[in-house]
Amino acid sequence: MAVLEKISNILNQVLLWIAGLFLLAMISITGANIILRLFGLPLRGTFELMGYFGAVVTAFALGYTQIKRVHIAVDIVVMRFSKKTQKILHTVNHLVCMAFFIIVTWQVSKYATTLWETGEVTETLQIVYFPFTYAVALGCLILAFTFFVDFLKSISGDQESSQ
Amino acid sequence: MSPELVGVIGIIVLLLVLFLLGMPVGFAMAVVGFCGFAYLVSFKAAFGMVGTDIWGTFSKYGLTVIPLFILMGYLAFNSGIAEKLYNTAYKWVGHWPGGLAIATIAADEFFAAICGSNTATAATMAAIALPQMKKYNYDTRLSTGTVVTGGTLGTVMPPSVLLIIIGLQTEQSIIKLFLGGILPALLLGLLFVLTIVVLCRIYPEFGPPGPKTSFKEKIKSLTGVVEALSIFALVIGGLYAGIFTPTEAGAAGVLLTLIVTLPTRKLTLQGLINSFKDTLKISCMAFMLVTGALIFGRFLAITRLPFMVADFAASLPVSPYAILAIILIIYLIGGCFVDALGFLVLTIPIFFPLGKALGFEPVWFAIIITMVTTMGAITPPVGVNIFVVKALAPEIDLATIFKSACFFLIACIVCTIILIIFPQIVLVIPNMMR
Repeated sequence: MAVLEKISNILNQVLLWIAGLFLLAMISITGANIILRLFGLPLRGTFELMGYFGAVVTAFALGYTQIKRVHIAVDIVVMRFSKKTQKILHTVNHLVCMAFFIIVTWQVSKYATTLWETGEVTETLQIVYFPFTYAVALGCLILAFTFFVDFLKSISGDQESSQ
Repeated sequence: MSPELVGVIGIIVLLLVLFLLGMPVGFAMAVVGFCGFAYLVSFKAAFGMVGTDIWGTFSKYGLTVIPLFILMGYLAFNSGIAEKLYNTAYKWVGHWPGGLAIATIAADEFFAAICGSNTATAATMAAIALPQMKKYNYDTRLSTGTVVTGGTLGTVMPPSVLLIIIGLQTEQSIIKLFLGGILPALLLGLLFVLTIVVLCRIYPEFGPPGPKTSFKEKIKSLTGVVEALSIFALVIGGLYAGIFTPTEAGAAGVLLTLIVTLPTRKLTLQGLINSFKDTLKISCMAFMLVTGALIFGRFLAITRLPFMVADFAASLPVSPYAILAIILIIYLIGGCFVDALGFLVLTIPIFFPLGKALGFEPVWFAIIITMVTTMGAITPPVGVNIFVVKALAPEIDLATIFKSACFFLIACIVCTIILIIFPQIVLVIPNMMR
């Protein structure tokens, strides 16, 4: 299990750095557009690129955010249960979230495949955007994997880190 | 089973999943919304809905405003701007009784104008102001309460992450919400100052006067507010004038904060990396909340429950303000147990249509519920600001910080009542915009 946890951590760190680079790109594109617009030369396609870059930023940070337990949760009741009950609740919680994100991965990648097959392009830049949709599916898959590791940790009794 | 009943069951299941499983709010809303939708329509439709909704929300241009404003706040947090703001305020009012506490609130007000986070504002000011107040023998009952509650200005004063999320969720203009928050934040700050003055009158030992500074020093210190003011003026001014979209204003704010702070060398490479990491985490959490709320909202919409509740409440033979009072009590209690952002996202699908049906102006209603929910950040048992300050000042016990925050809670309640009686305080600036 330690190996799986290590893989999850490395994968999420790599995705986080990519997300950071896309965030930097978002700032640069918008900044460039603001400045160029002053000279009457707005950057074409800024709006659509920002949306797609934003999607990668969010999707690639999903797993890391879960590892760091930043997603807002209400643990005030759970904390009052016995350790054994807490363990069962955490296990169910992680299992449900994992199952949900497997469904999401499946559906988003299915949608991406449709976009690929129909050759869907963006309105202004006329570029294909299915790679971004696949990227979101990848982010969701890694989140499902992170939940799987959390699930393993909760059934093995690693309470502290599985909460 | 009628759709409305399914809606009620859905809400009960959501609460059970939230409280008993401890599932994060965003995921819980998405999972329960998905299951409810599948039950009422079909699994096939629910599968399609989650796929397109998650892609649609993640790739929406309007939502890109979230990471940019969060990054701007974190850069400001790591940049040393807050220190300068505090020094300026300290030079001007530090020699008054309770002056250092007043300086903290003043610096909070300015810092909140460039940082949209409640906790970041509280943490920043706690790190700077607490040691100063300790040095001049301020009673911890005053000093901790000041830094804990001063942080709440961050959620009302634009740019505010909370207001951005409300704007996105209720499809309102973020610009109008931002403008609507300015005067209430100033009023709240003023009431905090008044609280400090009254406390120091009754208990002079709470805040002994600090050293006096010369007029020359006072004038010289004003340069400390130039950076924050210029960033605020560019971002909010640009939005007001229609030069920027909210996303562009966020990007401009990030760039300007960098330009202002890079020459000072206060922002280290590690600080920059940390700012990015924190931004990614917080904005991802916010995106997940918005997505979860959207999916849950789709389920609630087909149950017609929100409309039914709104129609029922509007038809009751009582004043809309009586229903508002009940809503605010729910927000006040909810805010005590659930993080402000989580609770707002959770309840907006029900309470916002209700507020509209009761005839409340949406911008005003948004500001009022933001104010009330934020009070949860300074009340037990989940007062997030209190734990932030406790982490920075471990020697002070939690009970003291909670008690200390209670003095200021009165100011928050008075502020909300004033805004209910005089809604124009919220609406005057947004209404000036064409």
